[in-house]
Amino acid sequence: MGKREQARAEAAFMRGDVGVDGAATEEKQDAAEVERGKAREALLRGKAYLGREFLTWLLWRSEAGETLVEFEKTGVTVLFLGRVVLKGISGDVTELSARGAMAPYSEQVRQALDRGLLVHQARLLLTHGEKAYEVTLDAEFLDIRAAKLPALMSEEDDSRTTERLYLAEQLSALIHTLVEAFVAVRAGRAWSKQVVPAMKEWMRGEEGTRKQTVLQRAANVRKR
Amino acid sequence: MPILRGAVTFSRFLVQPDEGAPSDLKRSLSRTLKARAFAPIERRSEEERAAGFVELENHDSTEFPAGALFYGEYALFGYRIDQIKVPGPVLRAEVDKWAAAFQKEKGRPPSRGEKAENRSSVRQMLRNRAVPLTKVHDVSWNLKSQQLQIWAASRKAVEEVLSAVETGFKVKLLPLIPAAAAARMGIEDSALGPTAELIGMELQAEVSHGEA
Repeated sequence: MGKREQARAEAAFMRGDVGVDGAATEEKQDAAEVERGKAREALLRGKAYLGREFLTWLLWRSEAGETLVEFEKTGVTVLFLGRVVLKGISGDVTELSARGAMAPYSEQVRQALDRGLLVHQARLLLTHGEKAYEVTLDAEFLDIRAAKLPALMSEEDDSRTTERLYLAEQLSALIHTLVEAFVAVRAGRAWSKQVVPAMKEWMRGEEGTRKQTVLQRAANVRKR
Repeated sequence: MPILRGAVTFSRFLVQPDEGAPSDLKRSLSRTLKARAFAPIERRSEEERAAGFVELENHDSTEFPAGALFYGEYALFGYRIDQIKVPGPVLRAEVDKWAAAFQKEKGRPPSRGEKAENRSSVRQMLRNRAVPLTKVHDVSWNLKSQQLQIWAASRKAVEEVLSAVETGFKVKLLPLIPAAAAARMGIEDSALGPTAELIGMELQAEVSHGEA
C-alpha cells in the first residue's frame, strides 16, 4: 500500500467511515427504503393522511351521486372528474396517476386503493343547487387550485370583484362543510366498525355496482 | 391579478387574533400595511430582494386609502416580491473579457486581488442594468367571517405571505384542513391516528407540525 493510499485509509477510519477491517461501517440504504421513508414522512406531515382519507372517503361517498351534505339548506353533490393521483407508503408503488373520463371510479383505481394507496389529488365537480364549481384539491393543504366558478351575473367591475370573491368563498365553505362531515364520521365509532369495512368492500368490488349511475352523471356533466 | 381576473387558485385560512392583536382590526389595517409596505430594491446596496405589501390595483402604491383597500366586507391587498439576479455565466464572461484586455495592456495576467475588485464592480454594473423580476400575490381577507385567502400557486410563496401577515397583524392563520377542523371541533388527537386498514399498515402519527 502506497503512503498516500495508507493515509487515505487512516483518514476514513478516523472519520468512522470504515472499521478496523476496512469495511464500511454503515450500509447504504436501499433506494426503495429511502423512497418509502419519504412517502411515510409525506403521509404524516401535518397529518396529511387525514386529507388523503378525506378524499378517498369522498370518492367512495360520491359514487352513488346522492347529496352528501347540506349547505345553506341546499344539498351538495360531488363528482370526481378526469385525473386522480394516489399515494401510499406500503408496497412497491408509492404514487400512481390515473387519467380518463371515469378514471377515479375505475376498477384499476379501486384495486390500487385496496392495496393501501389513498387519493392525494383529484379534480372535483361540486354542485350546490343551481351552481356548479370545478376544483382541483390536494390532500395536504386542501388548497383551491385552477377552480372554475359559476358564471358571474354582475356587470360593473366592482360588483364583479365582490361576486367573484363571494363565489370563491362559497366554494371554500362547501369544501369545509364536506371536511367537517368527514371529521365527524372519522372521529366516531362507526368509522372503524362500519365505514372502513364498507369502503374496503367497495374497493374490492364486493358491493352492488353503481357504475351506471356514475356514467350517467358523467354524461350529464358533459352535456352541460 | 387573480382576485380580479384569471386562475382561481388560493390557500385558505381562518384568522385567529394573537395576544397583542389590535382590537379594531379594520381601523389598524392601513397602518399595519404601511408599516410593512413594499420598498423597491436600493440599487446601490447589496440587497437582491425586496418584499412587502402593496395596493391591489396599483402595485407601485403603498398608501392604502380606504377606497383602494376595502371592497364590502373584504380587505384586499397584494404582497409584492422583487428580485434582482445577476446571471453567473454573464458575470464570468465579463470578468474574463476584462482579464484578457488587462493582459494585453499590461503584459501580465491580473492578480487575484485585482480580479476580485473588478468582479465586484462588474457585478454592480450588471445589477444596475438588470430589470427586477416582480411577483405579486393577492390577499383577500373577509373581516366579517375572518377567512383569509392567499392567491398564490406556489407553496413557498404562500408560506412567505402567511408569515408576513401573521407577523404584521399579530394573528395566527389556521389552515382549513381536516386536522385543524378536528381541533376546532374539540376532537382529540388520539382519535385521529392513521387508519391501518386504509393505508395498508400500522402507523403512529408521530410527525406533526402543530396545525391541529
